[in-house]
Amino acid sequence: MSPRSSRIRNIFEPLDKSLIAKLWQDRFGIPEQAFSGCKFFRKARSIWVISDVDLPRLSYETIGMRIMSCKDRPWKPTTSALQVFGRYAAKNLIHLNREEAMIFLEGSSQGIESDCEPGYVVVFYRGDVLGCGLYSHGKLISQIPKERRMASTVESETCPD
Amino acid sequence: MDYLDRYREIVPDYDAFQAIQCLPLYNSARINTLKIKRENLLERLEEGGVLFQSFPWYPLGLKLDIESPGKLLENLLGYIHIQEELSMVPPLVLDPQPGESVLDLCASPGSKTTEISQMMENRGLVIANEPSLARVSPLRSNCERLGAINVAITRYDGRNFPRGLFDRVLVDAPCSSEGRERRGPGVLSRCSTERSLDLQVLQIGLLKNALRLTKPGGVVVYSTCTYAPEENELVVQEALGEAEEFRLEKVCIPGLLECPGITEWNGKRLNDDLSCTARYYPHINDTGGFYVAKIIKN
Repeated sequence: MSPRSSRIRNIFEPLDKSLIAKLWQDRFGIPEQAFSGCKFFRKARSIWVISDVDLPRLSYETIGMRIMSCKDRPWKPTTSALQVFGRYAAKNLIHLNREEAMIFLEGSSQGIESDCEPGYVVVFYRGDVLGCGLYSHGKLISQIPKERRMASTVESETCPD
Repeated sequence: MDYLDRYREIVPDYDAFQAIQCLPLYNSARINTLKIKRENLLERLEEGGVLFQSFPWYPLGLKLDIESPGKLLENLLGYIHIQEELSMVPPLVLDPQPGESVLDLCASPGSKTTEISQMMENRGLVIANEPSLARVSPLRSNCERLGAINVAITRYDGRNFPRGLFDRVLVDAPCSSEGRERRGPGVLSRCSTERSLDLQVLQIGLLKNALRLTKPGGVVVYSTCTYAPEENELVVQEALGEAEEFRLEKVCIPGLLECPGITEWNGKRLNDDLSCTARYYPHINDTGGFYVAKIIKN
């Protein structure tokens, strides 16, 4: 596809930071300062975050990192975004032990006791944010994307570089 | 392997150069300081029983004595990135600073893009350009895993990348990859002078556009992982032409031995300044092979 046709398809609209910060504050208790030096864009039903710079007038495929999807309710944070911003979370987080962490990293579901509100949670193991989980009725469902799971990992440098 | 004979006159200790092609390259990785401090990462590897050795020339580069480093939790979490040793050189020569505007014209799979982003501490802007849709996916995935949030991806043909005035531009050009034989045996069997000359047309187009897109005072780094002068010195000479607007700066990474770029090929005299560019050979540092040129726009 040529850049001309992708320009029609890709419309990144700037978004007010406080709007996004409030969502993350409400769900995870992450303070707005965690996003200082960042700005936000929306494309279709995804929200993107990038360092606070002026972007030259170009046709973009991506702008920074996709941090959340608003396709369904509730909105869903990406694992990548939680690995960057999730360490500031003060609520709706779950700490796993080694065995549980391995199950989570393989992309599987498991029973976990937690007082989290139902919905998306930040999953930790020994201080590391592993990524996004969905917590419901005592069950933690891993939301780790397939290519980042423990069993299916491939070396990242497979192309000539 | 006979194809390499054409480099007999320009490669020092040619027999050792030829012999090392059969030895596989060790695994290596770069510590991603966007997500973890070096000392914390080293501590984790030690705890996990992973044997490693820091590069003598780059404290963030590690030789890993492990079969599948991609499966390490540290890789999944983006604390390290599996990257060939010499692939870490071009960003260091480019020397991007936090807050600058940088273009990586041939970006996928993003090893150098993310190294640039890390050197800029996630501040400023990196435009990572990659025309192939199939190759955007690993680029994006690596940027996200490594937490590089100052990167925006475009998909132009690099020769026609339309506009911008960048502080620094990296042209890590598509090439015949002769220097990758130790990673993927068989690379050399696909090489030919004709192929190098075909790639040269593209490489000159990319470098000329990169020079156009750079601010006065800015830096362009041209790199390949091949030995063919047709894809290296001859590209730089042709793209710079007679213009006094550009000058070559000496490429030198303390602790890593380079050979000077050649100034004669097939009986033809080349620009003397090309000796400022650097050739990295596998038998000299026990690495792959690379070529790097640093150009300053006056």
